[in-house]
Order: sequence, then structure tokens, then C-alpha cells
Amino acid sequence: MLGAAIVTVTGNREALIENYKGILEYTTESIVLQGKNCKICFEGKELSIDYYTNEDMKISGMIDAVRYF
Amino acid sequence: MLHWIQYIRGYVTIKVWGYSAERLLNLCGNHDILVWGIKDHGDYHTMNISVRGFFALKPLLKKTGTRAAVLQRYGLPFFVSKMYRRKIFVIGLVGCMLFWILTSGYIWNIKIDGNFALTEDVLLDYLEEQGVHTAMKKSGLQIEELERALREDYDIITWTSVQLDGTTLLVHIKENEMPEYDQSGQSQNDRGMDLIADRSGTVSYIITRSGVPQVALGDRVEKGDVLVSGAVPVYNEDTTVRKYQFVQSDADIILRYGEDISVEQSVFYEEKQYTGEEQKIYVLGTGDREWSLRFRKIPYAAYDSSEEKKQLKLLDHLYLPFTYGHKIVKEYEITEQKHTEEEMKTLMQEAWDKIITTLDEKGVQIAEKNVTIKKNDKKWVLTAHMQLEEAAVKLAPTSIEPVLEEKTQDETPVE
Repeated sequence: MLGAAIVTVTGNREALIENYKGILEYTTESIVLQGKNCKICFEGKELSIDYYTNEDMKISGMIDAVRYF
Repeated sequence: MLHWIQYIRGYVTIKVWGYSAERLLNLCGNHDILVWGIKDHGDYHTMNISVRGFFALKPLLKKTGTRAAVLQRYGLPFFVSKMYRRKIFVIGLVGCMLFWILTSGYIWNIKIDGNFALTEDVLLDYLEEQGVHTAMKKSGLQIEELERALREDYDIITWTSVQLDGTTLLVHIKENEMPEYDQSGQSQNDRGMDLIADRSGTVSYIITRSGVPQVALGDRVEKGDVLVSGAVPVYNEDTTVRKYQFVQSDADIILRYGEDISVEQSVFYEEKQYTGEEQKIYVLGTGDREWSLRFRKIPYAAYDSSEEKKQLKLLDHLYLPFTYGHKIVKEYEITEQKHTEEEMKTLMQEAWDKIITTLDEKGVQIAEKNVTIKKNDKKWVLTAHMQLEEAAVKLAPTSIEPVLEEKTQDETPVE
């Protein structure tokens, strides 16, 4: 699907997100990203952003849930 | 790899607070400003950003209503500017490194190992002659040639190993333990060798093994007289000398001579008495020079000084051309003392024993002796009239010229 966000989760420690539009909310408990058609929410503990560029970003921490809404 | 690039280009850790940090992150992404290591601390966020990115951040901060402050600077551009402010430190550091590099190219200490008969001084002098000395460049050292030269110039050295350990030159040698016999005597036989008297005296014993004795038992001889001639005449029938056969004279000859020895010993003597006053002076030195870390004069009229010096070294073998240590200066006063009778007797006995030992060492035997001691208030005088016996002879080339003959005959020396 053209323009859809790609989320790669490694275990529950790392997540690599490509093709997203922007970041909506960032706290240590949750990170909410804007995709093309929906929002993606990562919930967990001690979440941090390893790097953040226009194309992709990497999240690390204890990921409890990935939610689309 | 990425770390290195980041380090070389420089980056800063910043603290961001205000209305919406998320919007700032989105704008950074859109403007191709790389941020990493983003952490949420509740009230504020921290993140790493490149130096160039940080300067491009200003309009974005204004737009999003957030504020940023630099927490920490990393990377080469900051390091260089920091070092630029600490010029003296950097110069010192570089100077120190240059100093180590330069000085480690020289030899600062020479150690000799395995020598018994050859003293260290002799070997060090020899090395000096060969151009090997302390404070010489390591590159100027020809180890193999030095080893060979040592073996060739000293017959007694049978094995050598020269090695460099840090700035120390270690010279290991092995000496020949077998005694060497002088075999050069035979070659001198062509000319014949006389035995001549090394001093005046009376012949008290003579046994000739080769050569023609010129003196008899009881003869009085002067120094330089020929005792045994190395030219053995071969006579014609008319008792004229046809030729000489030259040999190396060999004989046991003992000369007896009289000698007077006298020893004086003063009853009075000067004794040093330390006053207990002493001073410690620190000294620094390099090469032959030395500086005391004291600029006033030493306030004692008479003093002894003892010095303890150490060469500066790094690790075990890296010697540097500097010495340090201290000098202890002790004041003393000279007082005149008098020996007791007992002490005088002991001193005289010691002096006499010393004379006898010296004579004994020289191979001189005492045939007769007459010792008297004269005492007065000021001094004791020991006088010894002695008859000494000594094999005081030495070899010298014979002065007799060979008889010239018209036709040369067999003149090989007779042993």
C-alpha cells in the first residue's frame, strides 16, 4: 500500500518506524505518531527516541502495546 | 563509524522545554536536521543535535514557542577551541612528548656484565675509544661490529653479547677461565737473552739451566751486571770462538743485599670531632655539571661532605640524563690527641707487619734482621737493619754480536 507506515518491532525493546508523517505526543509512557490514514500509539515504560529524521525513527524502551486508531 | 563522524563534526546536548516539543521534532525532521538520543524528563526533553543543526534551530524554536539551552558540548571543534585557550598546557604536553621521543633515541646508561679480570673502567674506556659512550645516539651504534671488536681486541674475552634495552646498553661478556701462557719468549731466541742483575748484591745461590754463568757464588754484583749470558760460545780447535749459539738464559739466582728500613710514628695525632652540626643540601645534575639548591655559603670552617646521587630513570631501563640527590655536610673540629703506650706498641707492630707482608709479596726473604725502637716524648722510631734475599734478575737481549762468517752455517738456536 502506497504511503502506509512500516513498523518493525524487535522483541519488546525496539521499534523502527518508517514512512510516518509526524510525531504527535512524546512522553516516557507513550509515543503517538501520525501515519497516512491512522495514528500509531506505542505504550510502555522508559520510552526514548534513539534518532528522528524525516524518513524514519527508532524507539527503544519497554514496549507494552502498539495500538492503531 | 557514525560516532566518529559525529565526534569530528561536533555535537551538543540540548534541553528543550516549552509548549510543544513534538512539533519541534516534526519541524526538525522536515528541515533535515538530525536529532538523536531524545529523552523525556517530564518538564523538558533532552536531545543530541549537530552543531550545524543547532544553529538552524533558532527559527524553529520561535515558531513552536519552545526554548532550548545547551547542556554539554562534544566533539573535535570544541576540543580544539578548549585547547587553544590552554596554550601553555598544550605546548607543555607536546614538548613533553617530543622530549620523550628525542631522549629515547640516545643511550643513557651502560651496564657491563660478566667481567672478572677486566675491570669495568677498562671496558668503559675501551668503549669510549670505540665511540660508544653515554648520551650517544642509538642509531650510531653498530652492535655487531662492537661485539666483534671486543672479541678481537681482548684475547681473554671469548663471548660477547651487546644489547639495547630501553636507553640502557647491556654488554655481556664471558672471559676465558683458562690462564694464558706467554709463548712469545721463543721468538726472541734468535738473538739470545741474558739474565742481568736487577739490583746490587751478593750472589747467595746460583743454579744455571741454560746459558753461560758469568758469576760465581759469593760474587758481588752491581745492578745491570750480566749474570748468565745467553750467548754460548762454540770454540775452534785453537780455542778461538767460532760462533755463538744464542739461547734464552734460565737460572735460579738469589742475590743478598742489606737494607735499612725505618718507620716513624708520632705520639701526637689529630682527631676529627664532629660537632653534630650538619646540613642537608639537595643537588641536581646533568652530565658532569651539578647544581646545589643552596645559594648561601656553608657556614663551617672545616667539614666533611657525603653525597648520594641517583640517576633519573623511567621504568627499569629508561635512564634519563639527569641526576638528583642530596649532600650532607658535617662540621668537625680538629683536636690534638696523644697515643697511649699501648696504642703506640700496636701501631708500631702494625707498621712492622706491613713491611714484612710487602716484602713477602714481592718474593723477598729476610735472611737476617736487627730491629730497634727508639722512643722519645714526641715520636717513636723503628729502625730495622736487614739482610734480604731476592731473585732480583731479569731478562735482557744479549749484547754479544754474532761472529761474522764468510759462509753461513747452521745457526739454529739450541734449546
